[in-house]
Amino acid sequence: MKILVAIKQVPERDAQIHVASDGKWIDESDLNYTINEPDAYALEEALQLKEKNGGEVVVLCAGPERVTSTLREALAKGADRAIHIEADDLAERDTLGVAQMLADAVKAEAPDLILTGLQSDDLGLGQTGVVLAELLGMPHATIIMQVEVVGSGLKAKRELEDGWFQHVEMPLPALLTIQSGGNKLRYATLMGIKKAKTKETKTISAAVAAAAPAITLERVYLPEKQKKTEMLTGTPAEVAGQLVEKLKFEVRVI
Amino acid sequence: MVDVTLVAVVEARLSGSIFLSGLQASTTLAEPVRFTWPETGLLLVCVVVSAALFFWRFAPILRTILHSKKDTDFSLHPLGRRVWDFVWEVLCQAKVIKQRPLPGLAHAFVFWGFLAFALVSLNHLANGVRLGFLPPDSYVGKFYFVFAGVWALLVAVSIAGLFVRRFFVRPIWLGTKVSYESGFIAFLIFLLMVSYLAAFFVADGGAAVKVLWWTHTLALLIFLPLIPHTKHLHLILSPLTVFLKRDGFSKIPPLSGDEDFGLVAGKDLTQLISLQVYSCVECGRCTEHCPASTTGKVLNPKEIILGARNYLNEFGPTSDVALLTDARVESPDNPAKKYMSMEAAFECTTCGSCEYQCPVGIQHVPIIVGLRRGATNTGAWEDTYGTKLFLALEKNGNALGLSAGERDKFIQKQGFPIFDGSQEYCLWLGCMGGYDPKGREIIADFARVMNYLGTTFGVLKKEKCTGDPARRLGNDLVFQTMAEFGLKALETAKVQKIVAICPHCVRTISNDWREYGIAPEIEHHSEFMARHKDRLPKQNSGESIVYHDPCYLGRYQEVYEEPRQIVSLAGDLVEAARSHERSFCCGAGGGLAFLGEERGERVSHVRAKELSDTGAQVVGTACPFCNTMFRDALSAVSEAPPQLLDIAQLTARALPPVIASESAS
Repeated sequence: MKILVAIKQVPERDAQIHVASDGKWIDESDLNYTINEPDAYALEEALQLKEKNGGEVVVLCAGPERVTSTLREALAKGADRAIHIEADDLAERDTLGVAQMLADAVKAEAPDLILTGLQSDDLGLGQTGVVLAELLGMPHATIIMQVEVVGSGLKAKRELEDGWFQHVEMPLPALLTIQSGGNKLRYATLMGIKKAKTKETKTISAAVAAAAPAITLERVYLPEKQKKTEMLTGTPAEVAGQLVEKLKFEVRVI
Repeated sequence: MVDVTLVAVVEARLSGSIFLSGLQASTTLAEPVRFTWPETGLLLVCVVVSAALFFWRFAPILRTILHSKKDTDFSLHPLGRRVWDFVWEVLCQAKVIKQRPLPGLAHAFVFWGFLAFALVSLNHLANGVRLGFLPPDSYVGKFYFVFAGVWALLVAVSIAGLFVRRFFVRPIWLGTKVSYESGFIAFLIFLLMVSYLAAFFVADGGAAVKVLWWTHTLALLIFLPLIPHTKHLHLILSPLTVFLKRDGFSKIPPLSGDEDFGLVAGKDLTQLISLQVYSCVECGRCTEHCPASTTGKVLNPKEIILGARNYLNEFGPTSDVALLTDARVESPDNPAKKYMSMEAAFECTTCGSCEYQCPVGIQHVPIIVGLRRGATNTGAWEDTYGTKLFLALEKNGNALGLSAGERDKFIQKQGFPIFDGSQEYCLWLGCMGGYDPKGREIIADFARVMNYLGTTFGVLKKEKCTGDPARRLGNDLVFQTMAEFGLKALETAKVQKIVAICPHCVRTISNDWREYGIAPEIEHHSEFMARHKDRLPKQNSGESIVYHDPCYLGRYQEVYEEPRQIVSLAGDLVEAARSHERSFCCGAGGGLAFLGEERGERVSHVRAKELSDTGAQVVGTACPFCNTMFRDALSAVSEAPPQLLDIAQLTARALPPVIASESAS
């Protein structure tokens, strides 16, 4: 079974973020990068499926030169091959643009199953996996906690709200977006890193140049704090009365 | 307690000897004069058979050791240290005596007796082939044979006492199995001595002398081939083992090459390890002081060593069969499965108690860490907490898994200056000092001490874990990442001197990081404060303070007096039952603080009880991990637990209070 895992490299979670001087994105200098956490769980799921059912795990990542370190880590954890789509213009692409880039590379590989994290730690749009599935004409399901290969298809457990879960079945090939926490992540081992050196990393450039994005990022800013606190004084009964007045006529919720 | 019995036995034997006075005792050793050629021929045959049997049994062992993997980091230098260790530990029997005084002394007598007997035995056999070189009535002979006689008496008494200890008193550390071959060998030694001494009481040239001579010779020749397959192999190997010990305490050798992941299979066992495991005398001193073994865990350091020896005997030094039994195919000849399990290997706190006092020079810690490496570096070890620790170190750069921003907030709040080359010291916070509430208190108090003394210091802008827990758990990938990061950060900041509150940081930076580069000199805050002790206030608190020696400061770095000097400034120093190099681990080392303990008694509770039993009002610590471990342990073991304070806190409490505006610098 050939499983392809699409991963993204994002700034480290506890990095000190500063808005860039032009206000359009964050200042990327002095940042450390790491694998997007839901993608790490997608990789873990792929590795466990390979251990259970055999096959191959291929990791795919689009981005500048620095993403090769994340690809190497994925190889060290057990992926068999890596594909690096060299792209320095990720910031100028919207979801459709990114998904198109990935789709071109995926078509060449023709995998049985595509796994990717349900959203990214930096933008958190949660769309790339879904759009990619649509471009490839594949059935898909999102927010997956567990995957089980059944015959020539699969059965997946989706996380809904409020402690509810949904089970879906679908044929292969298919695409699933994986939720964090479904499995226990494995640690990278010395043996893994040494083996990674012998594994293939293919570098390709985006097949099609980015079309004009349908959505552009206009402005990035830190939430502006406004503190408006009014203290009500008096006896509890008086305060209660004042509060009801405000809720009725100022805030208008009752 | 056990050894009082030995004294009683010695007394009984001495009084028994008076009864021999009825016999005629001469000061000259009787010697058989005429050996017939058939007798000489028989002797030669016996010698050849004995020697052949000996070599037949010894050769495979020698071959195993020589065919083991070479130690790539071994160097004979510094030679002086090796010679000193040999003289002190082998010739003077220092470790043998120090750790178990009475049985140790008895063994020392047996050993020295053997040495004293060297010429006697040679001459004895030489007589049999008519080449005797030491006539008993010569000047030298007269003195020497009486001298050897005195030793023979000492040896006979000692070996009898040791026999009683092993077979009647039965200390549990010697194991529960009764070793008949030990008993037989003790008997042979006794017989050798008695047959020698008896020769003072018989006439020259008579039949009695012949009988004694043959008894002595046969005892010797039967003894020889027994040596290789028993723990008595240490007679031949242990002087070599002590001399060739790896330089440094708990020294983890670097991995050699791309295929080396630690001790995975037999082919990874090096020559030094093979030599060491064949030298084991099964005395059980390692087990006796092991915090895991004595609190009901599976780990037993003696059984790890013997397990490796059994492995070598069964599979050989070039085998691919896994060392840890979890991954091994069952073999009916392979005993003690649980001792060589992954569970056992990961119960070690690396306290070093075992290695520190092994009388034959076995270095247990590198072997156990080697086994852990084999499991961790290959991903075979799957442990929730271990994985959590490695991921935390990978992602956040600290063992507690907290965001690095937390350390920045702490630095800002305390107003610590960032090290910029203008200050004298770089204050290394470490994971506990940077992220743990108690560790932070210790840092804050130590900073106050440094400010009081006028010592300038700064902290690194970005600091990651030294990698100590990863190193001890066998994860070389994470350790390398941490070490290289730290070395680079210190070099970039142009740090010349470092001071830290955590002995693990000090040891790892000064010693383990050497594999990747040389760090600037680092000292522990107890050493720093001790140097300035004349300027620190002397408190007349009258408080009794029991000081606990941390493993990584005491046994690892031999720093015992400096923290005590600081404690003595703060109150009255009290010693725990086990202190200095005998100090009992708090249970946090070796990554165990992050793994937790699953079975038996908690190590921290055992030690906490020992500390509170001294009746002291305060427990003084010098390591933030010891401090953390004792925090709940003391309340758990005592109704009115003593106060728990680091030596920095003990010192800072006597300093004049700092005015708020002065603290922000």
